[in-house]
Amino acid sequence: MELPLALKQIIAFTKRDFFSWTTYKTTMITQLINILIGVFSWGVAASYVQRPVTEMYDSDYITFLVAGIAISNLIMPIVQGIQRQLNPWTLETIMMTGISMPVFVIGNIVWTYILSVLTFIPYLLIGTSVFGAKLDVNIPTTIVAFAISAAILMGLALISTGVRIVTKSTDPVTWTINVLQNLFAGISFPVVYLDTIFFPGVSTISWFLPQTWVYHLCRLALLTNASLLDPKVLSEFIKGSVFAVILLPVGYKVLQWGVARSKREGTLGWY
Amino acid sequence: MEPKYAVETIGLVKRYPTRARNTGGGGRGHGGVDSFGNIFSVMRRRRGSFIEALRGIDLQIKKGEVFGLLGPNGAGKTTLIKILCTLIIHDEGEAYVHGFDVKKEPAEVIKNLQAVLPESRGFNWRLTGQQNLEFYALLYGIREQEAQERINSLLELVGLRERANDGYQRYSTGMQRKLLLCRALLRDTPTLLFDEPTTGLDPLSASEFRSLVRDKLSREEGKTILISTHNLNEAQEICDRIAILDKGKIIACDTPNNIQYTMLDEKVFSITFTNTLFNADPEEMVNLLEKTAGVYGATPEIDKDGNLSGMSVRISKGMDLSGILSVIMKNGLKIGSINTREPSLEEAFIAITGRKKEEPGRFGHTGRS
Repeated sequence: MELPLALKQIIAFTKRDFFSWTTYKTTMITQLINILIGVFSWGVAASYVQRPVTEMYDSDYITFLVAGIAISNLIMPIVQGIQRQLNPWTLETIMMTGISMPVFVIGNIVWTYILSVLTFIPYLLIGTSVFGAKLDVNIPTTIVAFAISAAILMGLALISTGVRIVTKSTDPVTWTINVLQNLFAGISFPVVYLDTIFFPGVSTISWFLPQTWVYHLCRLALLTNASLLDPKVLSEFIKGSVFAVILLPVGYKVLQWGVARSKREGTLGWY
Repeated sequence: MEPKYAVETIGLVKRYPTRARNTGGGGRGHGGVDSFGNIFSVMRRRRGSFIEALRGIDLQIKKGEVFGLLGPNGAGKTTLIKILCTLIIHDEGEAYVHGFDVKKEPAEVIKNLQAVLPESRGFNWRLTGQQNLEFYALLYGIREQEAQERINSLLELVGLRERANDGYQRYSTGMQRKLLLCRALLRDTPTLLFDEPTTGLDPLSASEFRSLVRDKLSREEGKTILISTHNLNEAQEICDRIAILDKGKIIACDTPNNIQYTMLDEKVFSITFTNTLFNADPEEMVNLLEKTAGVYGATPEIDKDGNLSGMSVRISKGMDLSGILSVIMKNGLKIGSINTREPSLEEAFIAITGRKKEEPGRFGHTGRS
């Protein structure tokens, strides 16, 4: 039986998109990995639901989760913000103005960060008023946690930008940040819980991820009324700062490398 | 010490890799890194095959000069301009803008030049023309009051004043080009580079642009202007000197008139035929003529009925024409008129860029002037 023309046309679109999808091998592979990681991370989170989060923040689960989701809203827009500006028309023209690359990167992030901070507040308001999350905020510590987080995220953004200037269409850095964050950074469960789910010691991986420290420091400030005068809290903040101190210069170097390489290869205007 | 030239290049060489990501996506505009294997190979970029975009460019452009870069597609014009803009790093040789080395002192170079690259618009489509210019004025570090005055006068100059508060996305191609020009003139730099500035413009806008370059920017303000173009009439109209690039080398460099009349050792001999029915293939006639000593090339002219109505023959300036006439008459063609003329710049350009490399020595000089 002959298929109706409209159905054939829909099949043509579907076939086109399928073949196109298979040509983007990185996208294909990363989507498959994302599914696996997603299943794992949500599985771990689901098994954790309604348990008291006593291990790290002496809090209940809903409070822990609301803070985690609000903080995650801060992270990705910053790393992605710069990428939206990375097209040949913008990049070549901006470089011709003579501004420095750090100014270019920071300039493209500031508004996104301001917007992220502004949207962070409604998350917390809805979380506390509707879902009964109980925050115990220390304002000075929160400001310091945000500052350290911004520096860490800036370093990651610089690295991501530098790599993307060279690789153009695919940015493995942002993808890796996403993937590792979902499973190891502790958005929806305390990272120490990974030890009981998988095997003892696996949570150590989390502490090597900069974004774990972004979540950890912000949660300490928002959930535990942590004071920087407390040596234990201060010690955690110093550890988090080490990531910022390392990532910022490394990010700057990676960005310089990416731009120089792209200029040598004559691909600065490519995307 | 004040540098002698506004722009100077010495033995400039640029090679592009032809492998890795360049091969994946089909060229410009497509990164083509479609797997992690490719990403790592891009990172480790093998030293392998290269194409030479520029092969030893020696060029000196005097201050206040309007200099044209001509050449077929892929000749290396845009590469040369982007090297001078510090957007591409060259592999060998040296390049200076107002005495500053483009590789070692890019910040100083950028202070002294501004470029209009049509592919690098960099305007926000949601902002108005005025807002876009204000953004760039801030990046250039121009004070607010000065920026407003300059933006207003530039918008007036290019005829965009009335549309200054329209969104950029509402601008026509011509208006977008005009806004590009405004941006280039925001800073008062002594050198301006234009890459095919009138492509896509209607004849009136193109003519207005040429007047602006020649009369205001060059004569009135004394700016040095480097302009790459495919439009030979444009080059002839506004350029003091031109260089013809072909396959990464300068193969002719002089004033447009010298290139047209002097450097090219040839003239054009036009013949029309009367009441003649030439049954053979016109290509045979072309072949016969091109075998004659002193003939560089012949082009048949076919009338609307498909008959051979004439021939244009490029010949050596001192050639005895009887050889050509003899070939024509032997084939039974009756001559209606004979005319010799100097080649146009376009004919000179085609002849120079189309000439085989094994025929050296027919140009006045090449490279440095």
